[in-house]
Amino acid sequence: MSSKDDQGFSRRNFLKTAGLSGLAGAVTAAGVADADAQTGPRVLGPGDVPITLMVNGKRLDLKIEPRVTLLDAIRNRVDLTGNKRVCDRGACGACTMIVDGRTVYSCSTLAIEVQGKQIRTVDGLANGATLHPVQQAFCDVDALMCGFCTPGFVVATVALLEKHPNATPEQMRKGLDGNICRCGTFVRIMEAAVKAKGVLRG
Amino acid sequence: MADQVGAAPPSGAAQTAQTATARYKWPEKPTLLGTAVKRLDGPDKVTGRARYSYDINRPGMLYGRIVRSPHPHARVVSVDTSAAEKAPGVRAVLAWKEPGTQVMYQGDPVAAVAADTEERANDAARLVRVRYEQLPHLNSVEQAMAADAPAIFPGGNVRDGAKDETGALDDGFAKAAHVVEATYSTHVITHVCLETHGCVCEWDGDKLTAWISTQAVIQSAQQFAQGLKIPQANVHCITQYMGGGFGSKFGPDSQGLICAKLAQQAKAPVKLMLDRKEEHLDTGNRPSATAHIRAGVTSDGMLSAFDAQSWGTGGAGAPSGFPLPYIYNFPNRKRTHKDVFINAGQQRAMRAPGHPQGCFLTEILMDELADRVKMDPVEFRVKNLPPRAPNAMWADYFTMGAKRFGWDKRHPTGDQTVGPIKTGMGVSAHRWGGAGRGSQSHIDIMSDGSVVVKCGTQDIGTGTRTIVAIVAAETLGLPVGAVKVEIGDSVLPFSGGSGGSTTAASVTPAIRSTSVDALDALFAKVAPTLGAKPEDLVAAGGRIHVKGNTSKGVAWKDACKLIGTEPISVDGKWVEGLSGSGTSGVQFAEATVDVETGVVKVTRILAIQDCGLVVDKLTAEHQALGGVIAAVNFALFEDRLLDRVTGQMVNPNMEWYLLAGMSDVPKIDIVLNNMPERGVIGIGEPPTVSTASAIANAVRNATGATIRSLPLHPHKVLAAIEQEKAGGTL
Amino acid sequence: MKAFAYVNPANEREAVAALKVDGIAMPIGGGQDLLARMKDYIDSPDRLVNVKILDASVTQTPDGGLRIGSAVKIVDLAENAQVAKLYPAVVHAAGEVGTPQIRNQGTVGGNINQRPRCWYFRNEEFVCFKKGGSRCFAVGGENQYHAIFGNNGPSHIVHPSSLAVPFVAYGAKFRVFGPKGEREVAAADFFTMPTMANVRKENVLEDDEILTHVILPAPGAVKTGHYEVRYKQSHDWPLAFTTVVLTMNGNTIASARVVLGAVAPVPWRSRPAEEALAGKPLNEQTAIAAGEAAVSEARPMSGNVYKVQIAKTAVKRAIMQAAGLRTV
Repeated sequence: MSSKDDQGFSRRNFLKTAGLSGLAGAVTAAGVADADAQTGPRVLGPGDVPITLMVNGKRLDLKIEPRVTLLDAIRNRVDLTGNKRVCDRGACGACTMIVDGRTVYSCSTLAIEVQGKQIRTVDGLANGATLHPVQQAFCDVDALMCGFCTPGFVVATVALLEKHPNATPEQMRKGLDGNICRCGTFVRIMEAAVKAKGVLRG
Repeated sequence: MADQVGAAPPSGAAQTAQTATARYKWPEKPTLLGTAVKRLDGPDKVTGRARYSYDINRPGMLYGRIVRSPHPHARVVSVDTSAAEKAPGVRAVLAWKEPGTQVMYQGDPVAAVAADTEERANDAARLVRVRYEQLPHLNSVEQAMAADAPAIFPGGNVRDGAKDETGALDDGFAKAAHVVEATYSTHVITHVCLETHGCVCEWDGDKLTAWISTQAVIQSAQQFAQGLKIPQANVHCITQYMGGGFGSKFGPDSQGLICAKLAQQAKAPVKLMLDRKEEHLDTGNRPSATAHIRAGVTSDGMLSAFDAQSWGTGGAGAPSGFPLPYIYNFPNRKRTHKDVFINAGQQRAMRAPGHPQGCFLTEILMDELADRVKMDPVEFRVKNLPPRAPNAMWADYFTMGAKRFGWDKRHPTGDQTVGPIKTGMGVSAHRWGGAGRGSQSHIDIMSDGSVVVKCGTQDIGTGTRTIVAIVAAETLGLPVGAVKVEIGDSVLPFSGGSGGSTTAASVTPAIRSTSVDALDALFAKVAPTLGAKPEDLVAAGGRIHVKGNTSKGVAWKDACKLIGTEPISVDGKWVEGLSGSGTSGVQFAEATVDVETGVVKVTRILAIQDCGLVVDKLTAEHQALGGVIAAVNFALFEDRLLDRVTGQMVNPNMEWYLLAGMSDVPKIDIVLNNMPERGVIGIGEPPTVSTASAIANAVRNATGATIRSLPLHPHKVLAAIEQEKAGGTL
Repeated sequence: MKAFAYVNPANEREAVAALKVDGIAMPIGGGQDLLARMKDYIDSPDRLVNVKILDASVTQTPDGGLRIGSAVKIVDLAENAQVAKLYPAVVHAAGEVGTPQIRNQGTVGGNINQRPRCWYFRNEEFVCFKKGGSRCFAVGGENQYHAIFGNNGPSHIVHPSSLAVPFVAYGAKFRVFGPKGEREVAAADFFTMPTMANVRKENVLEDDEILTHVILPAPGAVKTGHYEVRYKQSHDWPLAFTTVVLTMNGNTIASARVVLGAVAPVPWRSRPAEEALAGKPLNEQTAIAAGEAAVSEARPMSGNVYKVQIAKTAVKRAIMQAAGLRTV
């Protein structure tokens, strides 16, 4: 029984979403080579490959190796340093970003795999000088100290309240269980989440 | 959350308020001091605009990576960097250890590379070939203290430490109706700063700029200069934001010097930030503490004797001391301590160094002694306190806290409730110093009304930036937002490192005196236009006016127009009388224990804490909240684990080095006892001292079994319950 | 991590073809385990093949069961109403995997195929049996989180998959696809007890095969319980957990499947517990007896005797849950 491509995923779709359609003629791009003698899917890397990321509504064109994580691509290549690297192993949440509406550990995500997705980071939450209600709540109740875990918690809280606008305390705790703070700001982060929930509900 | 604690503290103790020069005294009726002022850098931190060392990206910057010993003890035979030198993107390589030298712990730095991307720096580091001759090593205190232990450390693996003897021990035991004899211990933990150690180094000729994650921006510049043998004047350290230190970040360490040398060699800026594994292995830890204690109590509940032999390990050649006994009055006591060395990373000051250890080793014993004389643990403690004083307020705090916590609902040791979930309560007391001096500052008041305050201190997450603004704003009668604060730079006026809970007490008097002097200079300019004398003027509510006559005055901006092109520019420094020393606190804990699984959950904590004059209620309370949570981790979760055979750390990550998350954090009630008459005293450390002890006593109260070591892992809880059933731990 | 080439196949046939390289190729699902292993140089493949393109749907089967694609995200499994109705233990287990961020990216296939959390396995310095070395460091080492069953060696890991336990308990099959085509393996037979010959893997999947589907049979009229004991509540590996599936005859247990997790190198099916349940009334005494029976064959290591008590409690409480009784 042959498997269905349930997502109708063809190589052409892949090339489109990977932003490579413009490169159809430029097969000489560094590191790009065909897999097995003109059959099968394109092999990317191991050297630099061109990728396109949609970050906070902006298109970013990069040339990076497949092994570069989303976190490192954003921090090191595009200087969006709001997102932090702390454990680099998906255990602490400081690198949390929102990809197509869901939180992810960007340290445990390959940049090439999130092409064609909407990526939101802490750097894009404020509207100019106006803070996002979650950010404002964090400031109002003093839900931070050294601040290094704060962006991850802010993003996790935003995503939590977008998914559960009427989150119960239990849902809030579970929703924020993927983030660690060493200074000990948890108590006030919960207060901020509760406050922001009220503001967002209107 | 502030609460009345009790009668005013007795006089006779340091009357700091009266020794202050009159003009600098803290205001009787402050408008800002002691209120809840939002952190100035909140917006920058929540938006990600705040740049930490880890976030500094400089043009042409390279990435550094250190090669470290995987062995706990070895001789370096050779360091071959030839393959690394040829690797793609590599621009600098250095050997840090010479052949023939020894590495003394897993993680000891041996060599380093710098390359154009982080990935290539990692690749290149892995191409450095180090040959080691492995040597015998000590992985635990037990191994190091064994009679047949290999002699690893010059002078011996065990070194005599503190000795203390007071009173007459034999008399003390003779008086005792009950004697408890047991061994108590606490474990090694690492700081786990979320922003790892490291820096970005950039040379301009022979001048170095280092954006460094540090608690001591000026001290770090001094140490860079010493380590690199260049003039101090050639080093500029910058730390606008840093992601946690907890005592471990007071200088460049090896990684900073390595970074600077790589940058020199490559003639390009280098960023060298440690990864999580390196952070666990080579940036310090809280040493372990063990004490074999024999203690006696009279039939009417007076402590009479305390005899202890203690030891601990601070790693390779490093100390492990701590105060013992802690707080309570044992009139006859003897204590000897030994430092035990093992082949592991060296200790560094960690939040209230020594006190969490001394507290735990005493407080479990206190509950055991209380049980012997069938006394309530709070009553027993109050009976045996040193005399009440402003820096020794435990009696008040025990009484007030017991009521607030519902201590009267506490059952005797061993919850008899049916079912596997047992509940218990415990209590603990602590003290700390928190004095400070020696800071300088500078203020400019400009003709457009701008105010800039400069001080070479740093904000390590405690809110220093904000309290600097508060003190200046309070003095100048301005809103906090009207004061621009410049800190975190080694070219600013001298201030010490942020440790020991000394920053608030060092910095705020300097800001106060400097602002008062600056205000006096402004008064001198304004007074003639108001037909008044400068000494008749006050600054309040954004105006300068004659005392008692608000309408006879001018708005701040108008007053400043009189300044002219040359700003009021004042240097000032720390003065006597505005700060104090010595704080006390008490904490209550409630915990549940599932006796069928050994899982402990802390349900609530009450922390009563003083810190002299509270500058910012919001940030001071947050220090207390944070300290309590840090101690919940110490009590239950985190643990630096070494393999007993190979000596290597088995959990150098944040997966198996457990830290509490949201669902693990209890309800925490903070009561800050504002004592303005004592001046400003630090609060960063004291709230972390007692919590683990209170929790352990709560677990004992719940289960009826005594666990005398941390952390309170299920395996210990279950073993203690088993042992209790089999005939006793009590 | 070492540099690698990346392939995005269009379908399972291309995926399997792409796994054939000069060198090492590995499939990447959610990457929540693989990338960490690569950063620690436990694995350093030359090529990664994206298997998120495999079936990511949950569909009903003609016999009233479900077919779950290996690319289904854990969060989607945890929130799937059909799965909740038919296999509540699967939903319960999925909801406790890691953290929200992990559940948002991790896949069913990745969860089943993840490698052990053993800290000797995960630290490059320890060259253990699973990495081609000649010892298991847990023996005589720090083994507080290692196995209490099946401890004949050579490896003493506990299998880390949360989903594997309910899948085995519900009698699932896994569809495997490789160069020779497809095959189905019972979940209970997929995971392998370690021997010197197979110690470098935890299951029967060959290097050139991929797991494409979990196929669950119709559950029938059963009562289910699922209980996990962890120390840290926010994000931690369980100390022991279990799924019990009870086929009832009135209020009597006709037959049971009791599978334990985090206690052995494979999801541990407890025949003694199942025998202690068969023919008994579903009540607290039965639950207690089953817990005792479940640990009767435990052979703990020097540092993990405490896990025996915890496993016993997990089994008891899962049965209490199935009975609709309070667990504590």
